[in-house]
Amino acid sequence: MNVTWNWLKDFVDCSAFSPEEVARRLTMAGLEVEGLHKTGAGLDSVVVALLESVEAHPNAERLTLCRATTGSEEFQVVCGATNHRTGDKVALALVGTALPGDVKIKKSKIRGIESQGMFCSEKELGLAEASEGIIILPADAPLGKPVFEVLGLKDACFEIGLTPNRADCLSVLGVAREVAALTGMPLQVAPPTVVVGSGPHPQLVTVEEPQRCPRYAARLIHNVQIGPSPAWMARRLEAVGIRSINNVVDVTNYVLMELGQPLHAFDFNILREKRIVVKNATPGERFVTLDGKEHVLDGEDLVICDGCGPVALAGVMGGENSEIQADTHDVLIESAYFDPATIRRTSKRLGMHTEASHRFERGTDIEIVPVALERAVQLICELSGGVPAEGHVDVCAPHCLERPVVEISARNASTLLGIDISRERIRELLESIKLKVQDGAEDRLQVTVPSFRHDLEREVDLIEEVARLHGYEHIPAKLSSWSADSCTVPEFYERITALRYALVADGFAETINYSFVAPAVWDKMLLDAADPRRNTVTLLNPLTEEQSVMRTMLAPSMLETVARNLARGAQALRLFELRPVFAPHAASDREHPALERPALCLAMCGRREPEGWAQSAVMADFYDLKGVVENLLEAQGIARVDFVPETADPFWHPGKSCLVKSGNTVLGAFGEIHPEVAENFEMHVPILLCELDLQAFFRAPVVTRKFCQLSRYPNIQRDTAFLVDQNISAKKVLDTVRGVKIPVLEEIVLFDLYCGQGIPEGKKSMAVRVRYRSGEKTLTDDEVSALHQKIVDALIRVCGAVVR
Amino acid sequence: MEAFSFHYLFDVGKSMKQQLEEILNQARAQVGEADTERSLGELKAQILGRKGSITALMKTLAGCSPEERPLMGKLINDAKTALEELFEARAQEVRALDVKRRLEAERLDVTLPGRRGLVRGSLHPITLVREEVVKIFSSLGFGIAEGPEIENDYYNFEALNMPKNHPARDMQDTFYISGDVVLRTHTSPVQVRTMLKQRPPVRVIVPGTVYRRDSDLTHSPMFHQVEGLLVDRHVTFADLKGTLKIFLERFFNSNISIRFRPSFFPFTEPSAEVDISCVICGGKGCRVCKDSGWLEILGCGMVDPAVYGAVDYDASEVTGFAFGMGLERLCMLKNGIGDLRLFFDNDIRFLRQFA
Repeated sequence: MNVTWNWLKDFVDCSAFSPEEVARRLTMAGLEVEGLHKTGAGLDSVVVALLESVEAHPNAERLTLCRATTGSEEFQVVCGATNHRTGDKVALALVGTALPGDVKIKKSKIRGIESQGMFCSEKELGLAEASEGIIILPADAPLGKPVFEVLGLKDACFEIGLTPNRADCLSVLGVAREVAALTGMPLQVAPPTVVVGSGPHPQLVTVEEPQRCPRYAARLIHNVQIGPSPAWMARRLEAVGIRSINNVVDVTNYVLMELGQPLHAFDFNILREKRIVVKNATPGERFVTLDGKEHVLDGEDLVICDGCGPVALAGVMGGENSEIQADTHDVLIESAYFDPATIRRTSKRLGMHTEASHRFERGTDIEIVPVALERAVQLICELSGGVPAEGHVDVCAPHCLERPVVEISARNASTLLGIDISRERIRELLESIKLKVQDGAEDRLQVTVPSFRHDLEREVDLIEEVARLHGYEHIPAKLSSWSADSCTVPEFYERITALRYALVADGFAETINYSFVAPAVWDKMLLDAADPRRNTVTLLNPLTEEQSVMRTMLAPSMLETVARNLARGAQALRLFELRPVFAPHAASDREHPALERPALCLAMCGRREPEGWAQSAVMADFYDLKGVVENLLEAQGIARVDFVPETADPFWHPGKSCLVKSGNTVLGAFGEIHPEVAENFEMHVPILLCELDLQAFFRAPVVTRKFCQLSRYPNIQRDTAFLVDQNISAKKVLDTVRGVKIPVLEEIVLFDLYCGQGIPEGKKSMAVRVRYRSGEKTLTDDEVSALHQKIVDALIRVCGAVVR
Repeated sequence: MEAFSFHYLFDVGKSMKQQLEEILNQARAQVGEADTERSLGELKAQILGRKGSITALMKTLAGCSPEERPLMGKLINDAKTALEELFEARAQEVRALDVKRRLEAERLDVTLPGRRGLVRGSLHPITLVREEVVKIFSSLGFGIAEGPEIENDYYNFEALNMPKNHPARDMQDTFYISGDVVLRTHTSPVQVRTMLKQRPPVRVIVPGTVYRRDSDLTHSPMFHQVEGLLVDRHVTFADLKGTLKIFLERFFNSNISIRFRPSFFPFTEPSAEVDISCVICGGKGCRVCKDSGWLEILGCGMVDPAVYGAVDYDASEVTGFAFGMGLERLCMLKNGIGDLRLFFDNDIRFLRQFA
């Protein structure tokens, strides 16, 4: 909402305050002034000057050499305009002035002659978009005075960010009411001048939907002469951001801005049967609004009809068919009150947001309907020479004018706000914003809510008014101690936090990707047509196709992030994301409209170690990622986990991926992604990925940490290297060793793995180191050798090992 | 080491005592020049060794008279002891020197970068800010609650006093899943869910991801909030001010100014917008604060009685306050990040800055 300082001053004399101070008070009272734009600010050095002589420039045909006086001083100015004569009064920008558009006036030489300033055009002063020649001021303009002051153009525009509850401030009058309350200056509202009409007013209005249109007033004006609006009106409208159109439409907009009542002007002679019917639209009916757009209406849209069909979409926009034209003679002005929900529904449904609908859907002032009508009639008659019919039509159910009464208790206000505020202070504050206040019982007041305040329905609404008018800054900040309660945290909250830190310790950077992805990512992931992950929660109104479905797995967005980073030159990446994935519910659950499960995705590619003089240039591989996964499992105390070399999902490299299982539960999978998937995301290097279902992960059995006594005796180790078939897995080897069940076996390490030169085809060489330590005594070499032999025997027997 | 000249050893003209003194003096003079174990060993051998000068003097004892012999013997032994002490002391010095020399030879270029097996990982700046906010409120006794991101229209709007067709819904452009399911536009529905689960007193904060159908330089369709809710007996607007003042002073620093300005939220009344003095310019006015000197930082208010109606709390028994803030904004102000899109672009060069 924009209002200007000069317009405000029509209603409240706040000239004792600066616009900045008024802006500050409005902001601190809940009407946030987001911008304060001053016209003529810094332009006091553009002054009235008298042209004493105008001669041709000796060196330039198109320029004039002028002598001008400001009364106290003389100036020589070179001017390129042609519309000035000796004796004219002009706007002289003195040296040092900064004109709008960052034009600095300097003393300069133009074609060899010094110019001590500049005569300005309206455009140069920011008063018009375009202008011809320089401004010639009225002959009585006082010499030397600032031009903006002389022309009465010094103004300030307040850009107010209104909250939706304050529909009452969608007008100059509404803001003035606040300013009056905040400055203590009286609000001056003159009763409207009712123009005496001629000829009886036809009773031409029928309201078929009184619930949705509780009040409809109209007045007919004959013989208007459509033309441009006077400059003062055009300027006021432009200052608040409304384009001037003609002297009738401008008046409706002017009154809209001034009083907050949207009006509409019909070309009366176009109205068929010369009547107005307010009713619901016929479903399927087509209607063209005056912006030229055609709409299909439904039975819930309220329309203004003439004898044959719609001529306006009630409260939203007029129709093209009844618009004011250059040759319009007779005008019917509509001033009405429409039900907010009705207007909101239509404007939302049709995507039409207008100055009128904006106000109607927030609730206008039903009592101002006839006032605004008469104000418009008065202005139109003044500006376009029309003559109204006698009286006006006003269809209104009397009960609509009844005002509710709300009670407020001083004690309740004090209790909620945490201050001690008296009934008298409350009365004073509420009366300052024009509420009618009467004493109630004890500490209470009876407040009659005026028709312009739809937001005041309950006591707490009034307490809020008291608080904001009293000033939030006058409420102390204190800290009470509250009764103790159980401060709980959500299930898994701490484990999730621990996971994040564990990943950071392993060199991973956390990412946050959008929860929505493109439906095309499932193809890129090579998912089957029947894959359940294609069954997504889908947005009805996405911003783009790219962000239209809720992701069922984190991997696609992670791959996009990796690809983006690689394209930007990243050498090595370790990234993770820990956020929910979404899926539709199989059965309906009122409490949880969709399934949301926390998931963890890891990605890794490029060098294992950072680049450096002491680091190796080896690329990270499956086992680097597996190490990370093992760290995570250990950090979370998840002990019994199998890494199963089967991943049914098509996006994995079949030989370099595995499932992570706890018993029969799949916790997730990891490995290298299928090169085709990498290509689909425009990556040409191996990408390692892991995706874990954290819900399953957190439910997996956890070992409780238990202290083991430390042995005081030394350990003894034995190494054995052996050949086995390629297909003998490490797990089988280690399980075989553990299967021997040696109580003093302290640790077993698979410390070497080799195949290639020197090793027979189809075989691999492995080496295990076994450490033995007893808690009761020092083991002897012989004892250990005997135990180790059992292990070697088992390896030979179970794994077919050939000791090297 | 150059050979010694022992020409005097058989100088019979000199007394034994003289000779020993000369040997001692010479040894004292020469021992300092021996600065390795080897050279010291050689010197020692020349004097005390089998072919050394002392041994040679020992042999001359045979030519002494029986009366002289013990006397001479003692003289020699005393000299020998003195020499051995001298060599031992020097040997210790030389060993220390040796260690010093060896270590000196092992000197490294300590300015070479360390051998880091890993680039340090990092938490997302939003996570960092969220944890900081959560930590501050935890210290004030707030618990933590969470709720679903795909939410019923009822919890997101209606139970928060925003019925269908209410203009307040325009404040939040909404992504719809169906007519009555939305992506939550704020973390406030968790207020309702929490109060439905728990009788007063309630004291929680709610971190979470939220969505609005808006995307430009200053709006992201997905972003993060932290919500707070405190409901108890006798909770006042003054308590709300006090709580948020403590939070903001801890999160930014205690030198900021804070102002509460009336505002509107359908689920709080009275409502307030909280501004802090601009952390960039200190309140003088700059591009970030649009020359106002103030930065809008959070919204808050006293819980609207209509919300208590939806959760079956008795509005005559309890009062409370709620507040909500955008984590991206907090993070941008705290870290001087100028572009909202960086948070979701996940450029490693950005993420690394929070390691």
